[in-house]
Amino acid sequence: MNTNFLFKHLKFLATATICYGLLLLANYTLDRYTLYIIALIGIYAIATSSLNLTNGYTGLFSLGHAGFMAIGAYVSTLLTFPVRLRIAYNLPLLPRFLGGPEFQWPFLPALIMGGLMAAIGALLVGITVLRLRGHYLSVASLGFMVIVTTLAKGLKDITRGAAGIQAIPHYANLWWIYGWLIITVYVIWRLLDSSYGRAMLAIRESEIAAQAQGINVTYYKIIAFVISAFFAGVAGGLYAHFARSIRPYEFSFSMTFYVVIMLIIGGSGTLLGPIIGATTITALKYALKPIEEGLKIYGLVEVIYAILLIVVMLWWPQGIAGGITFLKVLLLKRKKGGEENVRISAGKADGA
Amino acid sequence: MLTYIAQQMVNGFVLGSMYALLALGMTVVYGILRLVNFAHGGLVTIGAFIFFYALSVLKINFVVTLVLAVLSGACLGFLLDFVAYRKLRGGPEVALLITSLGVYIFIENITKLLASPQPYAFRPPPLFLQRFTFKGIIFSNTDIFIVIAAVVIMVTFAVFVKRTKLGIAMRATAERIETARLMGINTNKVIVTAFVLGSAIATITGFMWGAKYGQISYDMGFMAGVKAFVATVIGGVGSIPGAMVGGFLLGFAEILLVGALPAGFAEYRDAFVFTILLIVLLLRPTGLMGRKEAL
Amino acid sequence: MSLLKVNNLHVAYGKIPAVTDLSFAVNDGQIVALVGANGAGKSTVLKTIVGVVKPISGSIFFSGTDITSWSADRRVRAGIVLVPEGRQIFTTLSVYENLLVGAYHRRDEQLRHDFEWVYTLFPVLKERAHQTAGTLSGGEQQMLALGRALMARPKLLLLDEPSLGLAPLVVREIYQMITNICKTGITVLLVEQNINIIIHLVDYVYVMQTGELKLHGTPQEVFTGEDIKRAYLGG
Repeated sequence: MNTNFLFKHLKFLATATICYGLLLLANYTLDRYTLYIIALIGIYAIATSSLNLTNGYTGLFSLGHAGFMAIGAYVSTLLTFPVRLRIAYNLPLLPRFLGGPEFQWPFLPALIMGGLMAAIGALLVGITVLRLRGHYLSVASLGFMVIVTTLAKGLKDITRGAAGIQAIPHYANLWWIYGWLIITVYVIWRLLDSSYGRAMLAIRESEIAAQAQGINVTYYKIIAFVISAFFAGVAGGLYAHFARSIRPYEFSFSMTFYVVIMLIIGGSGTLLGPIIGATTITALKYALKPIEEGLKIYGLVEVIYAILLIVVMLWWPQGIAGGITFLKVLLLKRKKGGEENVRISAGKADGA
Repeated sequence: MLTYIAQQMVNGFVLGSMYALLALGMTVVYGILRLVNFAHGGLVTIGAFIFFYALSVLKINFVVTLVLAVLSGACLGFLLDFVAYRKLRGGPEVALLITSLGVYIFIENITKLLASPQPYAFRPPPLFLQRFTFKGIIFSNTDIFIVIAAVVIMVTFAVFVKRTKLGIAMRATAERIETARLMGINTNKVIVTAFVLGSAIATITGFMWGAKYGQISYDMGFMAGVKAFVATVIGGVGSIPGAMVGGFLLGFAEILLVGALPAGFAEYRDAFVFTILLIVLLLRPTGLMGRKEAL
Repeated sequence: MSLLKVNNLHVAYGKIPAVTDLSFAVNDGQIVALVGANGAGKSTVLKTIVGVVKPISGSIFFSGTDITSWSADRRVRAGIVLVPEGRQIFTTLSVYENLLVGAYHRRDEQLRHDFEWVYTLFPVLKERAHQTAGTLSGGEQQMLALGRALMARPKLLLLDEPSLGLAPLVVREIYQMITNICKTGITVLLVEQNINIIIHLVDYVYVMQTGELKLHGTPQEVFTGEDIKRAYLGG
């Protein structure tokens, strides 16, 4: 363990502590509604960060994220739902191998199980389509999401169908949510810093070149996809236990689109981008909501999102985070004007 | 029993014709740009609503509406390319995909906003509602229109692409865009033509969809676009006849499924479509007639 | 007068230089070869001349006119036609359609005449006129690629590795046809790795190594002696 490693971890720890400190402050000073929004931002940040792993870093364009969130939400809920309420709500009791009819799972294992089930789903879909071109994955993952929601609607005996599940125990709070956000960001960060991450970035740049370098492209794509799905499942589970109610139609294409736009606007391919994106888009939504309801123009928020997405794709594809990096480089260049000449001559020596 | 099967065959054929047309509209763009144009479904929605307003609200004659709608669709296709896609030419494929997604969401929600979140009942001109029975098989003028229109459009397109200079240029560009440029082909013009044609076809498909299902809503384009893509994949990506064959097969498969399963499973229709997609991708990703793309 | 004059061409792919300070000329009616080992930059030169690749600096003159800023399709119309590496015929189109596409930019009425001309040069193509191009053999595809280029009425024909992937007998045939084409007044600039075939066929040779021009002269001057060994195998 060298000093660089230690130093980086200390920086991370410091950031995490500051984050928690801010949360504490917020908890004492802000009102419930704002705190509700902050919690939602956290959940979306987890979902967006996990999407970043596939869409941002590996160059895959998955559109099925809502499907993984749905799996996580439903699985964790069905595990944690209080036994005494199950019969009243027409929910099944747990079979023997999951603990038996007297059992309800504690939150953390249920959450992880939700993530795992989502990951397994990703594995199955991934093995099928990840060896093919990008847009196959897009539509196939979309299809996966539709299949999941259709099953959620159809398997009424297990999921209560379109009515969804309500009165979910309120296990998730700010601390849980942001705790998991920190874990998610940490895992992605360490992943990127490792050989896995380098492989993923190579794949993003050019699959053909990566393959030529001996990288097993399909393997790494599947890994990215599966890990991404795990955290999406966790996000789904957190959502379920925070909002306390889930319905199949909530995990539809709209949800996927939200996450995608958060990623693009925030800045894909950066660690902070998803968080910035989640904050911006959620804040925008809640700011515009009163207008939408007041004027009865439903769909206004999505129209604005769509326009924003197109505009960003055309003129500012790196998103907000990319813009920040751009500014930083710009400022740095101004300060260190002299360094330019040194770099050019060094380049010539290499090239000749 | 026999009548029942025959009826399902007819239904399948009608639905298949519509899906084949959908697939054709999508494949025209896909073949050249390798872009899954999500916005295609959106154009179907717009087409349906144009017909709705023209026929039901403004009470315009059908033939005039048809011409107007097709022209509008063509213009929209051109606009779409000009505003959203042109700038991204030559860039990463993913960028186009994301943008087309944005365009679809825009269209869907603008429709929701300007029209209504509630579905509208779609009434084609009374002539279309006339029904016939032949040896126990029921079909309507709408069905006949769908099949005939689809066949006419597909044949016209096939002739265009085989006999005209621009059509051949389109096929050349679809195969190798760089080499096509070397031949002096203005690939930009070819791409614009593809969008215009695809959108015009989408508009007509919108009418068919509305007439067939009796209702239109702001989100109808979603499944339309998806089914178009699935049909394309089944038939073979990049192959125009393949797309049409895929459309027919998908139509038949869907009818068979709905007919074969007990009533409670009708809602699985959409999931079924996707399951077919996944199976095809698993077993034969190039589809039935597709060329060997660099996968 | 030189039909083609390239001055101080610098071409790079991103940061990687491909061609450095290249100057050469091709005279009317000649067959000129550009040779060198793999990666010497020969293909890049052809692509830059036809306009698919843009140079960083340098100029290209065609019949005395500066065409450096011209777009690819403008150059094709002016008579610079490239037969790309690997032939790149349209496999889903028929032989006839491939030839038609070759003449795409032309608006004149001479097409029929040119079809006859190409079919005379390459009888095999007439036989297979309505077959899908993908079903042709390697040699036949090369002939199709050549025929397609001829349909564009080139003044300067650029050939990128015409012998690639073809059996020796077929290669000989192809080069015979190339010589015949040149006899009709078309200037030919070709890139070739296999110098043995072209020694007796070309009028002038330019030898490139890692993007730079190392040697030039008649085949007799160039292909004897230590210089060529050095150019090919490196210092």
